[in-house]
Amino acid sequence: MLTALLEQTVNGLMAGSVYVLVALGMVLIYGVMHVLNFAHGALFMLGGYLCHFFFTRVTGSYPVSVVLSMIVLAAIGIALERGVFRPLQGNLRNQVIASLGLILVLENLVIALWGPNALQLRVPATETLVPIGELRFPLQHILVIAVTFAVVLALFLFLKLSRLGTAIRAASQDRQAAMVVGIPVERVDWTTFALGTALAALGGALVGPLFLVFPQMGDAPLVKGLAGILLGGMGSVPGAVVGGLIIGVAESLSTLVLPTDYRDSVAFVVMILILLVRPRGLFGVRVRGED
Amino acid sequence: MLKLAAAAVLVLLLFAVPTLAAEEPYLIHVLVLCCLYAIPAVGLNLMLGYTGLVSLGHMGFAGIGAYTAAVLMVDAGLGFWGALAAGLFAAAAAGAAIGAVCLRFRSHFFMIVTLAFGLMLYAVMNNWDDVTRGAAGFPGIPRPGPLGPLSFASLQNFYYLALSAALVAFLVQWRVVRSDFGRILMALRQDERLSQSRGVNAMFYKTAVFALGSALAGLGGVLHVSFLRVAAPPTFSFAESINIVLVVIVGGAGALAGPALGAAVYVGLPEYLRVAAEWRLVLFGVLLVLLMRFAPRGIAGLVADGWQRLLRRSP
Repeated sequence: MLTALLEQTVNGLMAGSVYVLVALGMVLIYGVMHVLNFAHGALFMLGGYLCHFFFTRVTGSYPVSVVLSMIVLAAIGIALERGVFRPLQGNLRNQVIASLGLILVLENLVIALWGPNALQLRVPATETLVPIGELRFPLQHILVIAVTFAVVLALFLFLKLSRLGTAIRAASQDRQAAMVVGIPVERVDWTTFALGTALAALGGALVGPLFLVFPQMGDAPLVKGLAGILLGGMGSVPGAVVGGLIIGVAESLSTLVLPTDYRDSVAFVVMILILLVRPRGLFGVRVRGED
Repeated sequence: MLKLAAAAVLVLLLFAVPTLAAEEPYLIHVLVLCCLYAIPAVGLNLMLGYTGLVSLGHMGFAGIGAYTAAVLMVDAGLGFWGALAAGLFAAAAAGAAIGAVCLRFRSHFFMIVTLAFGLMLYAVMNNWDDVTRGAAGFPGIPRPGPLGPLSFASLQNFYYLALSAALVAFLVQWRVVRSDFGRILMALRQDERLSQSRGVNAMFYKTAVFALGSALAGLGGVLHVSFLRVAAPPTFSFAESINIVLVVIVGGAGALAGPALGAAVYVGLPEYLRVAAEWRLVLFGVLLVLLMRFAPRGIAGLVADGWQRLLRRSP
């Protein structure tokens, strides 16, 4: 039992790390632009495909492919902010519907280009096993957790210490006040979008080797990421980290008592309960214009 | 008056299609699919277009109706019409119950919760093997039984049924929009707090429209599985829920003709253009984004604007 518990905890932390990467991107974008990008799961998926493309066709190096896919996705993020989200600013419904349109565009573009079947992304780190106690985990599991931890740390330092990070925090707190004191909020918008989509790409590129690369691979992380955001508190960056990890571990541990088919529903139940019981989430950020 | 006459001619034409184009079963097949998409779209239009409730799990309720009817028909041996009524009732009841939870939330939260419920309903359809037959699909669903002398086994007669159902949905929408109930819904869309201050029980009306929209989704769902003769979870997935939002928006949310126009364009245009399924959805995604930017009132809005301009130009 204890072994199973440990195994599922590590699995949960791994899945949770992926949710954290998706949730962070969405929460950052939500903070400054006050819109939830429902296409974030599709961007995550695109990150996986681009990583596969760079790994098999361009360079044989997995880390380089990950970085390249992040760069490309950041560029796509900027284009989306410029071309879609900024022109629709001020109309939440239209922004959300446009992001739904983007899901269709991205998912089906990928199907048209790469076909509907799952692709394998064989990297050495999935073959190497690391012993933890009696158990052995693929190195990639540990890698996902470690990279996410490092990225979260770097992001916190960036938001806390750098000029741009401070500007992002200021714009999230009060957009108009940020403008008044001379913060270039439009620049903050597109850099945040680039940052958010690059984080999504990192997530897709990290899980690609573990669970194959396929057109719907972003759907679950999108919903789990949303659940993590709600759990942590809409708009809270630390909340997104804690929420994402809790969702990951909770659904993993649920497989010890529930049929695995319903594992995904754990996140939905947590999400609806948290909204009913404590709509501001664990970290209780005030939610502008939503209540 | 002119509009009414035009609508009557259009309906007559649609009913005459099987006789005019008797050699083209494919065309009729496509028209049936148009109707099957238009029906849930009408339900969503009442919610999204008139009340401003962006539900991202609409097709889950179509699934509740469809699977309720399927189980009753195949396992309980109930006739189609009884099963249809039960499916409608189940979808409406689920809509009222789930709606009552979802409607406690607003804006983003409402969307997320409807999305979550849609996915949960899908998970149940996909995994509850004993009842829904799981991911393999639910085979052996009969076509509607005969109604008096009228049998619906042939494609042509099923088309009459689907078209009639779509007309009923349209008439329901028309009646609702022109009633006090509909005016309250539109008031809620424009300013919920102000409506409440004028004594409107917002929760009651929003739950009612959620139930009505879900019932229409259920009607579409039952007809859909009866047409295909199999119920499969992907028909009611998250992707389909997005597609139905897209149908409403492309056609024109908050316009009476919106769902019909949207369904016609969504089903008909790609068939006409003969493009592969994935490119059609790419095309629609792009169209949707462009519409949001340049014509947020959809095709119905474009048509209305064009009509206005034409009237102004003529002396």
